Amino acid sequence: MTPELFFGLLPITIVDGISLGLVYAVIALGYTMVYGVLEFINFAHSEIFMVGGVLGVELLIWLQKVTAIKDAGEKVIGYSIHPLGALIIALIFAAAGAGALAVAVERVAYRPLRLRGAPKLVPLISAIGMSLFLIDATRFIESLFGQFNRPFPEFSAQPFFSVPVPFLNVSVPIKDFVVLAVVLLMLGGLIYLINYTRTGRAIRAVAQDQSTSALMGIDVSRIITLVFLIGGALGGVAGVLYALKYGNVNPYIGFIPGLKSFTAAVLGGIGSIPGAMLGGVLLGLIETFAGTYLDPLTGGVIDASYKDIVAFGVLILILIFKPAGLLGKAVSEKV
Amino acid sequence: MTALLDVQAVRKVFGGLVAVNDVTFSVPEKAIVSVIGPNGAGKTTFFNMITGIYKPTAGTISFDGRNMIGLRPDEVVTNGIARTFQNIRLFGAMTTLENVLVGRHTQSKTQFFDALLHTARYKSDERAGLLRAKELLEFVGLLDKRDELAANLPYGEQRRLEIARALATNPKLILLDEPTAGMNPQETEETKHLIRRLRDDTGITVVLIEHDMRVVMTISDTVTVLDYGTKIAEGLPFDVRNNPQVIEAYLGRGAAAGEFGKNAAAPSSTGDAV
Amino acid sequence: MSALQDKRSDSSGFVVIYALVSSIVAAIAIGINLGPLRFIPLDGIIPDILKTLIFLAFVSSLLLANSLKTSARAKMIVFLFVLVVAIPVIGVSNTQYLDILVNICIYSALALGLNVVVGFAGLLDLGYAAFFAVGAYLWAIFGSQQANNFTGGGFPLNGNFMFLMIPIAVVVAASFGALLGLPVLKVKGDYLAIITLGLGEVIRVLANNLNRPINITNGSQGVRIAPGSAPLEGFLEWLSGLTGIELFKLELLMYYVVVLLVVGLAVILTTRLDNSKIGRAWVAIREDEIAAQAMGVPLVRTKLIAFATGASFAGAMGVLYAAKFSFVSPESFNFQASISILAMVVLGGLGSIQGVIVGAAIVIILNQMVLTAFSNFLADLRRGGLPLPSQFEPAQYQQLIYGIILIVMMIVRPKGLIPAKRNAAKLENLERGELAQKVGKQ
Repeated sequence: MTPELFFGLLPITIVDGISLGLVYAVIALGYTMVYGVLEFINFAHSEIFMVGGVLGVELLIWLQKVTAIKDAGEKVIGYSIHPLGALIIALIFAAAGAGALAVAVERVAYRPLRLRGAPKLVPLISAIGMSLFLIDATRFIESLFGQFNRPFPEFSAQPFFSVPVPFLNVSVPIKDFVVLAVVLLMLGGLIYLINYTRTGRAIRAVAQDQSTSALMGIDVSRIITLVFLIGGALGGVAGVLYALKYGNVNPYIGFIPGLKSFTAAVLGGIGSIPGAMLGGVLLGLIETFAGTYLDPLTGGVIDASYKDIVAFGVLILILIFKPAGLLGKAVSEKV
Repeated sequence: MTALLDVQAVRKVFGGLVAVNDVTFSVPEKAIVSVIGPNGAGKTTFFNMITGIYKPTAGTISFDGRNMIGLRPDEVVTNGIARTFQNIRLFGAMTTLENVLVGRHTQSKTQFFDALLHTARYKSDERAGLLRAKELLEFVGLLDKRDELAANLPYGEQRRLEIARALATNPKLILLDEPTAGMNPQETEETKHLIRRLRDDTGITVVLIEHDMRVVMTISDTVTVLDYGTKIAEGLPFDVRNNPQVIEAYLGRGAAAGEFGKNAAAPSSTGDAV
Repeated sequence: MSALQDKRSDSSGFVVIYALVSSIVAAIAIGINLGPLRFIPLDGIIPDILKTLIFLAFVSSLLLANSLKTSARAKMIVFLFVLVVAIPVIGVSNTQYLDILVNICIYSALALGLNVVVGFAGLLDLGYAAFFAVGAYLWAIFGSQQANNFTGGGFPLNGNFMFLMIPIAVVVAASFGALLGLPVLKVKGDYLAIITLGLGEVIRVLANNLNRPINITNGSQGVRIAPGSAPLEGFLEWLSGLTGIELFKLELLMYYVVVLLVVGLAVILTTRLDNSKIGRAWVAIREDEIAAQAMGVPLVRTKLIAFATGASFAGAMGVLYAAKFSFVSPESFNFQASISILAMVVLGGLGSIQGVIVGAAIVIILNQMVLTAFSNFLADLRRGGLPLPSQFEPAQYQQLIYGIILIVMMIVRPKGLIPAKRNAAKLENLERGELAQKVGKQ
C-alpha cells in the first residue's frame, strides 16, 4: 500500500470511526449504567437499541407519508416538515418507546429474580432469553406490515442527511454532524443528571450500596426502574442514529453492535460514564481502521470482514490485562 | 519455641486506606491465638493476606519455614493453612458430606482419567475420603446430618460444618473467622470445646478472630489486638484485658464498650480459664 | 436413589407393560411394514397430530422407567426393548421418527457436554457451537474433496475413517477448548458469557473467510460430502440386499446405533466425573469460587478441565453431525445454535444428567415435530379459507420459543424440569462396598 493511499484514506477513516464510535458510546452508556447499579450485564440492551431504531424509522416512514405535499398529478413534490425536525420527533419517540420497553423488560424478566436473590447466572440467562424473544417478536410484528428490513426515509429526492459538507479537506455527510450533536447533547444531559441533581445522587448512592440507600430513604426499586428507563432511552436514540448512519433497520441489527458496545463499556471501564464514551470512540476507531486497512495491508488475505475479530480481540485483551478498563476503578470482592 | 506462622511487618493498602499497618505476628506450634479488635480493625483483611486471597502491599509471611507471599489461595491450602469464613461460605447445593469431601481435594491423588476409568487409585481415594469425612463429621457432631443440603442446616451447624470442611484439607494451622458469631450461649460453649479439642486431640494450631470475650479470654494462649489496622497490644489474655490502650480502643467506640467491659470484668465466672 | 428411602410403591410391572403396549400401539399407528411383520397400514386414517402423540407416549416409556421406582431388571428390560427392538423396527418403517430420534441423541450428547460447563462448573458458555463446528469441519473437510485444496490429494477419506475421526475430534476440540479457555477463564464470571459469545462469532467469521488465500472451509458456501460415503457403506449395501430394506434407511439406523452408543458413553462419563473429586470441585466453584479456592481447588485449572471436557463432547458430535447431514456451513454454528443447546440444558435442569437429555428431547420434538405440525395445521386452515396472515409460521420462530423457555424457566423453575440431585456420595457406599458400582444412577 502506497503512502499516498494510506494517508488519503486516513481522514475519512477517522471521521467514520468517531461517528460509529459515538453510536457505540451511547449504547455502551446503557450497559454501563445498569452494570454500575446492579452488577448485571443487561443482555437484552442490544435489542432495546434495535427496537428503538425500528420505532424511530417506522415513525419517520409514517411522517413521510402524512407530510407529503402532492401536486395535481398525485406526485410528491415536497414535504411539509424539515428532515431535521422529523428526525428530532423520531428521536424523542424512539427514546420514549425504548425506555418504556427497557422498564417493562426489567419488571418482567429481572425484578422477580432480583427480589428472590437468585444467583448471578439466573438473571443473565433470563436476559439472554429476553434478547431472543425481542428479536423474533419484532420480526413477527414487522413482517405483518411487509418486509422486516426497513430503509431509512430520506424525505426528499436529494437525500438531506447525505449531503456532504466540506470539513478540514474532507467532505463529511451531514448525518455525521447530526450524530455528533445528538451524542454530545445526550452525554451532557446525562452527566448533569448524574452529578448535579438529587436523582443523580440517589442513583450514585444505590450504585454504591443498595441496602444503605434504602435505609437512607431512597426508593431503590424506583431508582433501578429509572436507570433502565434512562439506559433504554439512550439505547433508543442510538438505534435511530444507527439507522440514520447505515440507512436501514431490521430485527437483527442489535446483536453485533450490542456486543461491540459492551466491549466499549468494558474497554472504558464498566460503570464509568466517561469510560463508556472513551471506550466507544476508541472501539469505533479501531474497527474502522481495521475495516479500511486490513485488506490493503495484507494484500487481501485478511479482509474487512475480520474487523469483528479485531473488536473481540480488544475485549479479550482488555479483560485479561486491565479488567477494570481504562477509566474504571478496580474492585475486589468482599470476603 | 519455634514459630509455625511468622508474619513480619505486613501491610495492606486499599486505594488510600491503610487496612493493615505493618503488623508483626507470630504463632507457635499448637497454640490457640486470638486476634481481636473493633469492627473494621483489619482482622479479616489480615486473614485474607495469610490465606493468599489478598496480596500484601509489603511485608513477609512465612509458614513452617516457607514463604507464603505470592501463592494462590489453593497453594496456601496445600502448604497446610485452612480457614473458615466470617460470612459462612458453604457450598449450599451440596450435601454436608460433599462439602467435607471438597475439602479433601488436595489430599486426593485422583486425576481426570482416574475418575473416568474408575481406576484403583480413584477407588482407594474415594474410600479414604469417605472414611475421613465420616471421622470429621463425627468430630463436629454432624454425622447424622450428612445427607442434608448444607444450605438447609441451621446456622450453628453451618459454622461447625465449615470447620469440618477446613479440617478435611489436613491443615497444620486453621484460621477461624468469628466461629461463634450468631450462636446462642450453649452453641458457643460447644464450639469453644470443639476448638480446644482441635488443638488438644489433633495437634492443630488455631488462630481465631472473635468478638465474644468470654471465648477469647478462656481459650486463648495469647491475644493480639488490632485497631485501625495497627497492632496495639499482644500478650496473655489477662494482660491484654487490662491494657489501657485496648480498653480505650473499645470504650472509645462506644458500641463495643459495654460488651467488652462486661465480659472482661467477669472472666472467672465462666469457670474454665486457661 | 437409595431403595431405603424410597417410600413409593414399586411400578416395575406397570412400566414394562406400558412400554410393551405403547410400542405395539405406536407400531400399528405408524404402520410398520417389514415383510412378515405387516401391520394394517393405517396411513391417511390417523391424523399426523395423533401419530405424534402416540409416538411421544411410546418414547416417554424410557422416562417413566427411569423416574418411577422400578427394579433394576425392569429398567433394563424397558431400555433394551425400547432402544434396541422397538425404535429400530418402528423407525425403519417410518424414518421421519428415527431421524428425530437421531437428532435427539446428537443434541443430548451436546447438551451433556454443555452441562459440564454451565451446569456443573457454572461457566456460562455462549459460544459452545464453536467446538461443535471444529468437529463438524474436521470431518466435512477430510471426508470430502475439500482437503485436497491444501494437501497433496487423496481425499475424501473412506467413510469408515469417521470412526477414527471421532476420537481425533475429541482431542482437537478439547485442545481448542483449553487453548481458548486459558486466557479467558481468568476473567470474572459474567464477562465470560460475553467473551465466549465473541469467540463463537470469531469461529463463525473464520469459517466464513478461510476460503482465501487457501480454500480450507469453502467459505459461506459450506462443504458438502458426496453421497455414498457413509461409514460402513459396503456392509450396509450388503445388508440392504439381504433384507430388502432401502439403503438410506439402514444408513439412518447405523447413525442411530452410533449416536446412541455415544450418548450412553457420555452419560457414563459425565456421571463418573460428577461423582468424583473433579465433579465436586466443579460444583464447589459454581457455588462459591472463593470458598472453593480456600479448600484447595485450583480455579483456572479446574475450569479449564470443564471447558475442555465440554468442548470434547461437542467435537465428537460435530463429526457425527457432518457425516449424518453430509453438509456443513458456517450458519449451522451461529449464536442460535449455541443458544438452542443452552435452552436444552436450562429447560432440563442445570447439572442434571437425566434432565438435560429430557431437555434436548423436548426442544428437538418442539422444533421438528410440534412447530412443523402446527405450521402445517395453520396452512390447512388457510387453504380452508380462514383469513390467517401468512406470517403465522410457527416453525420460523424458534428463537422466540428459546427466549420464552429461558425466561420462564429462570422465573418459575430455575433448577429445571428435573432438578439435579447431589446425593451420590454416601457413607453407605463404604459399608456396602459399592464404590466401584456407583455408576449411571442419577
